Amino acid sequence: MNASLPVPATITTIRPLTDDTTLYTLDCGLNTQNNGVASFLPGQFLELSLPGIGEVPISYCGFPSAGGAIELCIRHVGHVTTPLNRSVAGDAVGVRGPFGHGFPLDSYENQDLLLIAGGLGMAPLRSLLLALLNQRQRWGELTLLYGAREQGALLFLEELLQLAKRNDIQVQLAVDRLEHCLEGPPNCRVALLPALLEQLTIRPDRTCAALCGPPVVYPYLVSGLKRIGLPDERIHLSLERRMKCGVGRCGHCAVGTFLCCCDGPVFNYAQLAGIEGALA
Amino acid sequence: MQKHITQQNLNTLLDTLIKEGKRVVAPRLNAGTPLYEPLTSSAEMITDQLPKRSGKEAFFPLCEDIMSYEKEGQQIKLTDIDPARFPETVLVGVRPCDAAAIPVLDAVFSWDYKDEFFLERRNKTTVVGVACTTADDACFCTAVGLSPSDTKGSDLFLTPLEGGGYHCETQSEKGEALINSHQELFSEPNGSKTVPLARPQTEKFDLEKVKKWLDEHFEDPAWDSIATRCVGCGACAFVCPACHCFDIVDEGTEKSGKRRKNWDACGFWKFTHHASGHNPRDGQPKRYRNRIMHKFKYYDDKFGQTLCTGCGRCIRLCPVGIDIAQIVEELNKK
Repeated sequence: MNASLPVPATITTIRPLTDDTTLYTLDCGLNTQNNGVASFLPGQFLELSLPGIGEVPISYCGFPSAGGAIELCIRHVGHVTTPLNRSVAGDAVGVRGPFGHGFPLDSYENQDLLLIAGGLGMAPLRSLLLALLNQRQRWGELTLLYGAREQGALLFLEELLQLAKRNDIQVQLAVDRLEHCLEGPPNCRVALLPALLEQLTIRPDRTCAALCGPPVVYPYLVSGLKRIGLPDERIHLSLERRMKCGVGRCGHCAVGTFLCCCDGPVFNYAQLAGIEGALA
Repeated sequence: MQKHITQQNLNTLLDTLIKEGKRVVAPRLNAGTPLYEPLTSSAEMITDQLPKRSGKEAFFPLCEDIMSYEKEGQQIKLTDIDPARFPETVLVGVRPCDAAAIPVLDAVFSWDYKDEFFLERRNKTTVVGVACTTADDACFCTAVGLSPSDTKGSDLFLTPLEGGGYHCETQSEKGEALINSHQELFSEPNGSKTVPLARPQTEKFDLEKVKKWLDEHFEDPAWDSIATRCVGCGACAFVCPACHCFDIVDEGTEKSGKRRKNWDACGFWKFTHHASGHNPRDGQPKRYRNRIMHKFKYYDDKFGQTLCTGCGRCIRLCPVGIDIAQIVEELNKK
């Protein structure tokens, strides 16, 4: 099988989340021909094609076992994702994947989990969150910190506010600024993620942190987590690189000796600690 | 197995292979530019010039189709390319620096995922290397542990004889099969001497020492001064026998077209640029550092080899005169 060959998938629903970000549901079909593209682990990614325009790496955003359907949360900023905005339900796109290593769910058994998402980083972490909630009894305490530029940029806000009402998960939201809103939604503060982190009480010996955000926040979050005593191996972060082939040949996603597409995109910080420029 | 072959018989061999339907790729002039290209006749082969680009194109073309697409209404049809269509190939007249890069590429294209486009061509190709009798001041194969008579990557290795013809030494079963398939054109070695080979004027680098410095100096002021002139044209990567990064792009109309794999270069600013505007390698020094790191550290970390065979093409071609051999030589002194 040529791993460069996508399979067709059909857009079934299109749900705008913010001004520039949309949640797509794709039907990949249940036949085996779809090459398992709908069987993924949270944190893995796929390559999404608009034939004639190109192909881009996109994180899975939905629940990992949704019978041939996959959710992709896409910001319309690139050469493929901008024209994608003109798609309508029923349009076919190409998909291939899953690629890379996701979050190590099995190692999270009985652990407290701290999910920290910044901006569009909520997309892959939503997949992880849904997987964790689906087997809630397997894990210890669950905490989600999620920050975005402003209220209008918070993705899945309704969903997260619903979650915040549950007593088996702690959800804290933050925005960089209020903009035209006089006050933010409940559970939302005007703060940066590292500040939220500082006020958190965690049990470092039984907590794992899963991070996904823009590169700019990683150094602050990692040093914040280290300050509260989390060992490097317990800090898992998803690196963003320009993965093109997805199978470790094209060279675009190199991070030192690692290739983000097959060695990552989720790494534990112990793997990256010696690689300068990895968090850049 | 050791044999001799006359120049005339070598030409006959190539013409016979062409007649048999094999693709015979060798250095030839294309509008005055020497390149490894398929021959239509042995008369086109040249032996006195190093081709401008390396022999890697025989397995890893500059551009190649990897899929075709058709769109009809909301539906799309995506069609695979069948690698079985690639022809049997004999790559002839390959310089040791180019042949030595072939096993280097093998590692990349089969380390985890097996790239069937590369491997199918590779399996169907017999590599006939030829020893170098001349070197210019950009050649530095001896500095990276190779030599004008290095047989790495060759299935059959030719060394020119005094008075014409070649000494042939098989390096693999493929090389033996080539001789066995046309035995009548080869003769037993008759005592003729081989001509004196080239002697590049560079001393061997201590590559372990260079790597050790690279291990410890990701951040170093040297990078700014090394790369200050680099204009990011990517020429060095395009002529390199060992560089293997590629881009994937669609070419065609809205209705139909092809997806292609094209050579790419880590020196291009867009190579790592994200749609968000962020670029992990946001300056030419960082990009040039990656080039050196990949060649002399990252590749070595992963595959235990150096990603440079000292062909010197990047030195000859660089429009701003960056000399990788000189850079490594200086790192070697640190």
